[in-house]
Amino acid sequence: MIGATSATLDPVLTYALTRGASLILLVGAVQKIRDWNGFRTALAAYRLLPEGLVMPAALALPVLEVIAGVALFSIPFRVPGAALALAVLLTVTAAVAINLLRGRIDIDCGCGGVEGRQRLSWGLVARNAVLMAAVALGAQAPAARELGLIDHGTLLFASLALYGLYASASQLLANRSRLLDLRNNA
Amino acid sequence: MNEALIVSNLVLWVVVLALLLAVFALARQIGVLYERVAPMGALMMDNGPKVGAASPVFTLTDLAGRPVNIGPPALSSTLLFFLSPTCPVCKKLLPILKSTAASERRWLSIVLASDGEEAEQRAFIRRARLESFPYVLSTDLGVAYHVSKLPYAVLLDERGVVRGKGLVNSREQLESLFTARDLDVASIQEFVGQHA
Repeated sequence: MIGATSATLDPVLTYALTRGASLILLVGAVQKIRDWNGFRTALAAYRLLPEGLVMPAALALPVLEVIAGVALFSIPFRVPGAALALAVLLTVTAAVAINLLRGRIDIDCGCGGVEGRQRLSWGLVARNAVLMAAVALGAQAPAARELGLIDHGTLLFASLALYGLYASASQLLANRSRLLDLRNNA
Repeated sequence: MNEALIVSNLVLWVVVLALLLAVFALARQIGVLYERVAPMGALMMDNGPKVGAASPVFTLTDLAGRPVNIGPPALSSTLLFFLSPTCPVCKKLLPILKSTAASERRWLSIVLASDGEEAEQRAFIRRARLESFPYVLSTDLGVAYHVSKLPYAVLLDERGVVRGKGLVNSREQLESLFTARDLDVASIQEFVGQHA
């Protein structure tokens, strides 16, 4: 394309990335709300916030996740949605990294995925980094192309597949810390 | 031709999603296995005061200001339970500990031990309703028993002799300490080893 400063991605690719991320955020938020007490305890265990701020933060995080997830899902609001999602992900990943650097790995992640409870690890940081890269890539302006019926089908399947990959990766990360527990005990 | 490609594409998507589902289910089952294959009995680490040896003696004050003596001869056996407000398994064991305290009251008194910030511990006691237990904060106590993992339990008899100890993750593991005392073996692992 003449005049294009950088290669643009096909809309199906960018939308699939943002919708996949949207599913991840929405499921995460729902899990956090369902086990809100557990989430609040996990957040307090990070020891980053003064006691009075734990409650509001525990309320705000899932709400922000829902807003970001809904916006990312929509096509017109996906860019602000991506910005919000990146801000949320950056904050929580920094919280994990700070506690890893402090050496406090034995606390619950409070990530609220389908994998259940898991402890902190650098694997989590790497997982979130990949997720953030996907969100940033998905927020790029796509090449102009009219989407047909098949494209919408691809979009649906691809975002479900991205979610599946994320869930499997998270489960394997959670397994790793359980295996380490077993080894350390044996 | 075009139609054939569309059909093939759809079929591939369905297969990809089904495979992802299978991968996830397998990973999940492995996770469940890792949790279930926990070693039986309270696990002993080979350090700290040996089973059958006298416990180091500590004179402490619990958070309510009551004196707590650990180690000297006493009227009943003592179960020292090391825990922390941030350990999830400890929370799971608290109801079990309470029921044990009630059912074994005849011969056993339970002392909870932790270390760290006092305000946090007090909040934890309130939240978990542990007021009825003596709750001591002592880093030295944990060091003396070489407690490296929580929740950790040490069973002392009336004479202050260590009768069982180890990492406890479940009711079975906690009770295995009492069984080990009844059978007069150091740990259920040793018992299984003798009878294997």
